[in-house]
Amino acid sequence: MVDNCEEVPTKEVIEFRPPLYKQRYFFVKNLVQQHKPKKVADLGFGDATLIWMLKYHHCIEHLVGVDTYAGSTSQWEISNLSPSVGDYLVPRDLDLTITLYRGSAVQKDSRLVGFDLMTCIELIEHLDSEDLAKFPEVVFGYYSPRIIIISTPNSEFNPLFPASTFRHLDHKFEWNRMQFQTWASDVANLYNYSVEFTGVGSPPAGAEHVGYCTQIGVFQKNEAKATESCISTPEEHVYETVFTTAYPSLQEKKNLLLVLSAEVLRASNSMRLRFIVDPKKKVNGRLVPEDSCVPRYGLIVTDAQRAQIESSPKPYCVGKKFYVPLERLITFPKVNRLVDSVERLRSLLSEALKLNRDQSALQVDLHDHYSRTMLSY
Amino acid sequence: MRGKSGVTHLLGTLGHPGTERTSRKGRSPAPPRPAPPRRGWDCGAARGGRGCPRGRGGAGRGLGRARGPEDPPAGRPAARRRLGRGGAGRGGRAGGPDVTGPSAPPRRGCCSRARERAPPPPPPPPPPGRERSARGHGLGPRGGGHAAEAAAHCQEGEELQLATRLRATSLKERKHFGGIFRDHVVDTRQYLEHVRESTTGTLGRPVKLFTNHFRVTSRPQQVTYKYNIDYMPDIEDGKVRSELLLQHKAFIGECHIFDGSSLLLPHKLLLPKTELVSLLKNQVVKLTIEFISELSPNSPDCLRYYNILFRRILKQMNLKQVGRNYYNKQEATEFFNHKLVIWPGYVTSILEYETSITLCADVNHKLLRMQTAYDLITGLRDPQTRKEDVEQVSKELIGSIVFTLYNNKTYRVDAINWEDNPRTKFKKSGGAEITFVDYYREQYNTEVTDLTQPLLISKGKWKKSQQDTPHKPIMLVPELCYLTGLSDKMRKDYRVMRDLALHMRLDPERRQHELRKLMNTIQTNREVQRELQLWDLKFDTNFVSFSGRILKEVRIFQGRRAFDSHPQFADWSRETRSGPLLNVKSLDHWLILYPTRNYGAASSLVQSLRKVTPTMGIAMREAKMLEVSDTVQSYTTVLENHVSSKTQMVLCVLSSEKKDLYDGIKQYLCVKCPTPSQCVVARTLDKPQTLMTIATKIAQQMNCKMGGALWKVETGLQNAMCIGIDCFHDIVNRRKSIAGFVSSINQELTQWFSQCIFQESGQELVNGLKTCLEAALKLWCKHNQFLPQAIIVYRDGVGDGQLQALMDHEVPQIESSLRSVYPKDSGVKLTFIVVKKRINTRFFVESQGRLQNPLPGTVIDVEVTKRQWYDFFIVSQSVKDGTVTPTHYNVIHDTVCFTPDRIQYLTYRLCHMYYNLPGVIRVPAPCHYAHKLAYLVGQSIHQEPHHSLASRLFYL
Repeated sequence: MVDNCEEVPTKEVIEFRPPLYKQRYFFVKNLVQQHKPKKVADLGFGDATLIWMLKYHHCIEHLVGVDTYAGSTSQWEISNLSPSVGDYLVPRDLDLTITLYRGSAVQKDSRLVGFDLMTCIELIEHLDSEDLAKFPEVVFGYYSPRIIIISTPNSEFNPLFPASTFRHLDHKFEWNRMQFQTWASDVANLYNYSVEFTGVGSPPAGAEHVGYCTQIGVFQKNEAKATESCISTPEEHVYETVFTTAYPSLQEKKNLLLVLSAEVLRASNSMRLRFIVDPKKKVNGRLVPEDSCVPRYGLIVTDAQRAQIESSPKPYCVGKKFYVPLERLITFPKVNRLVDSVERLRSLLSEALKLNRDQSALQVDLHDHYSRTMLSY
Repeated sequence: MRGKSGVTHLLGTLGHPGTERTSRKGRSPAPPRPAPPRRGWDCGAARGGRGCPRGRGGAGRGLGRARGPEDPPAGRPAARRRLGRGGAGRGGRAGGPDVTGPSAPPRRGCCSRARERAPPPPPPPPPPGRERSARGHGLGPRGGGHAAEAAAHCQEGEELQLATRLRATSLKERKHFGGIFRDHVVDTRQYLEHVRESTTGTLGRPVKLFTNHFRVTSRPQQVTYKYNIDYMPDIEDGKVRSELLLQHKAFIGECHIFDGSSLLLPHKLLLPKTELVSLLKNQVVKLTIEFISELSPNSPDCLRYYNILFRRILKQMNLKQVGRNYYNKQEATEFFNHKLVIWPGYVTSILEYETSITLCADVNHKLLRMQTAYDLITGLRDPQTRKEDVEQVSKELIGSIVFTLYNNKTYRVDAINWEDNPRTKFKKSGGAEITFVDYYREQYNTEVTDLTQPLLISKGKWKKSQQDTPHKPIMLVPELCYLTGLSDKMRKDYRVMRDLALHMRLDPERRQHELRKLMNTIQTNREVQRELQLWDLKFDTNFVSFSGRILKEVRIFQGRRAFDSHPQFADWSRETRSGPLLNVKSLDHWLILYPTRNYGAASSLVQSLRKVTPTMGIAMREAKMLEVSDTVQSYTTVLENHVSSKTQMVLCVLSSEKKDLYDGIKQYLCVKCPTPSQCVVARTLDKPQTLMTIATKIAQQMNCKMGGALWKVETGLQNAMCIGIDCFHDIVNRRKSIAGFVSSINQELTQWFSQCIFQESGQELVNGLKTCLEAALKLWCKHNQFLPQAIIVYRDGVGDGQLQALMDHEVPQIESSLRSVYPKDSGVKLTFIVVKKRINTRFFVESQGRLQNPLPGTVIDVEVTKRQWYDFFIVSQSVKDGTVTPTHYNVIHDTVCFTPDRIQYLTYRLCHMYYNLPGVIRVPAPCHYAHKLAYLVGQSIHQEPHHSLASRLFYL
């Protein structure tokens, strides 16, 4: 139930930059950045904009949306929630599944238990009093995620808008700060959460007293005890799945191999070009660089990284082949990020690329079309 | 030499874009081909037989659906036609940060319109029953496919304000029709009295053929109802349109096909006009569903909807749409060492043919590259100075299509901004300033690691309809831009090409296997079946089969000798070099230029030439050997000093395949100082075992360039002039398009007159035709003392959907030129044949229980031809591996009144007349000459070649 009508009817009075709905989403994004939740659910996902924005966060592995008007399967199938070609080219580090359910935030579904973060952005004001009464029990009591974010309009801000009604036709109520905070504190107490209040959409100069246009409560569960063990509730699948998709990730070996070999080839290529132009000497039938043969740009960011590469075994050349020791390859930050040991690097690379006989180094051609035609050294 | 890949490779290296290639053994495995400039997303490689006239069957198909720049049909940026499509190619909207401020004019098309679709061809007369044009591309894109992109945009930076999307657009801009559909309703046969009865020939021996078509065995037999959907305010994005309509699924029913603006229903709605309200975010959008017409089951319009339905089915089968085709990511193949991934996929169309409606399905591949523009830039940095080779980077990057991961879009790189870097700030459309680094971090959680990289500039997509509207450029960070398509570098790497070919070049058996798989899935997938049953659609699961004919092999006359083309390999390379050529030019005054360090190569070439020329009957005197250094300047200076009016030929040995060097030399020798010339890359002369073969080819080629002729065939034509036309579109530099116009000078069709027409991009060919034709007639008359009685035009380079335009403009233009040249009642005749190489239809023969390629000379004029056309297919070339691609010929105008037999006979024979290859090629020789000419001019010379060269095949 994302509504951004705050900014629609009132152009001349108040315009938020960025738009208020974005400010709310960015608020959530920041919190995700801060707490790194693995499982995130958005109750009342509306057009799934927030879900889409959250899918870019690497920490999230499960992203779930629930909405009473969840649209059709085909609608989401073709939406930007599905993995794109780019997601195959650059797989995520961790798996990610996105699932959208049709259902209401006042129905219990066991699949939503045990989440790290739940967001209810502009949701509660759409609930009638009966549903609002059930809401805390379901979300706080049953789902009981680590963190809950609830945002709702602040009615004190409304006089700044020309229209005197609710901000959206479907709103059942709009609370002032006092009302929201009382409700929230009661709920927090009851379910053993602590709550902090903030908001987005700062009031214009001179009207600071009305507070944020959107008020937000951030609830954190108090005990850090493992509550999951006690939730052996029976499986209850009330929500209808309208869409689910899984993203390719580096957890899958095929993807890891692809990214790793691209990274390794990138590193070896930069060293190869250096090698070609740098002075070399012959040692035991090998052509070895006199310098450290560290690429000067791009792949390395810090001096420490550079030093580490420098201290690793140098690449060498035999005949028309160029060899890069795996021990050197693994010092490259982007390679290191993917595999942690030379053994692992070896076992992976041996499936994808050509290694030398004793499997200690990567073997590539010394010259390619570019170096042959362009580097006239 | 047959099958020696080493040889081929060597020869292949000659094939620098535009470098003359002495030969190409079409059937040797995976020769690297002359690279058309890098091209787009869809593997971009040339489709079978680009520089290599022979085609390589499946290869072509596999390795590149994308058109190279040289072939695309007139008047459209066809090279991209298949590239930046769909998933990728959508949206001219800034995916990357927008450099413009809030006042920037909304970039058109957050919808599929922005894709590079063919610019609207001259508006065809609206086909019957389509009062309100559907916006859908029939086969395509419009339908559900993109429906969701809108959503993507919603979130994308500030630029996506509702207002932009709700902006009204004129209906006119939406009238994009599937080109194929447009062509298929053009009835060209109605004017051809002589083939009213039948377009089927009888010559040759019958052969049972199979084709990759599946008959539609059942389809709706009742009337269906077509409704128009109007949006208030207007919505541009097809996905959003579809989404908004689907909010009323209960009302329209499960069974519906929506093409973006019109809806097909099997039942009638209660009211002829219904108004509905949908919600887009919180915006109310009013939908008006208005009855347009009843479609009879036979209406061609129905087919359009079936195609949309079929695409929906492919989607249901969990195939991923990229561009306009669907790919199976589960069966991806990784090439770790090349940083490549290939997804197999399908290209399908349901269309009506001679006797039935069929589903034509072919296998297709998508190439994904794990390489960014940043990799390319750093790869070209000088390892010592750290300076990028600005020129080289520009050369490699500009014009290429990059794919940005974060928003799944493609952009064309138009320039590189070396001044700025990712720390540069830009203004978001909201007005706030932000650096690129911060923007990507904030928006997409993506880190830019190298802060010193330059930025890429994309001017947005080229569209004919918008060529006058100013575009605000978009800046992109190279690190986040993935390269698409095959690069020149990859094409030159035979290992890449070999590995790719192995996967993508399917032989008939494998092709059949893959297509069977598709048909089986369709039969067994329950969801798919449910959808099909709703419409009562059923497909046969077997290939359509029928009888074709194999024409007799063709006799080649070379001097006093005559021999037949090899029935299976369609080749006479051995025969042609073992005796004197048809028309020999002696080499009396000629120069050889060579870089100092390639003296060895040059002198061994001379020695070999001395050995091979006597057999061919070429008298060769000593060449003047001139040493040069490796620069254009040096070559031209030497040429300036030594080329005289007596010089017949200049042979340049090049140390490497540097394009600028080649271009410089060619420019000088084609324009400033018109002299036939031959370039050879020194490395091709390295291997002693192939040297003789190469020397032979070079000798033959030089002979042709000086105006000689190698062989001839009997065509049965008298007093007729053959013309070949093909186009080259320089998409990379958005330069003018060039059409090659090649006409025969003599009766024997051994001499050709070559002209070219420069046209503004997107412009039709018409205007230049008149001048060319008049000049061609004049020259013919000079040679033969009379004007030809018949003109036969083979027109290649026609895009989908342009057939009507040819009928309306080109043919009349040629006729009117003829009227102006010929006296009244001269009775001059004209035949105009449209040649199409890029088709999805394939033919197979069964032999020993296996499907195989049909023999060269196989003609098909039944079953998969069209009732409204005088058309036929010929498989003229032979391929060693993969599936052979037939060529489609459509006779759209014919006052010569050729019988099917005669036109097929003539066409097949003309495929034997291309002097750069002692074998049969895919298209009639004049078409391929025209192609070569246009390519050389478009790629290298960029100016009109000197007229004194025009009657020689200087561009071979």
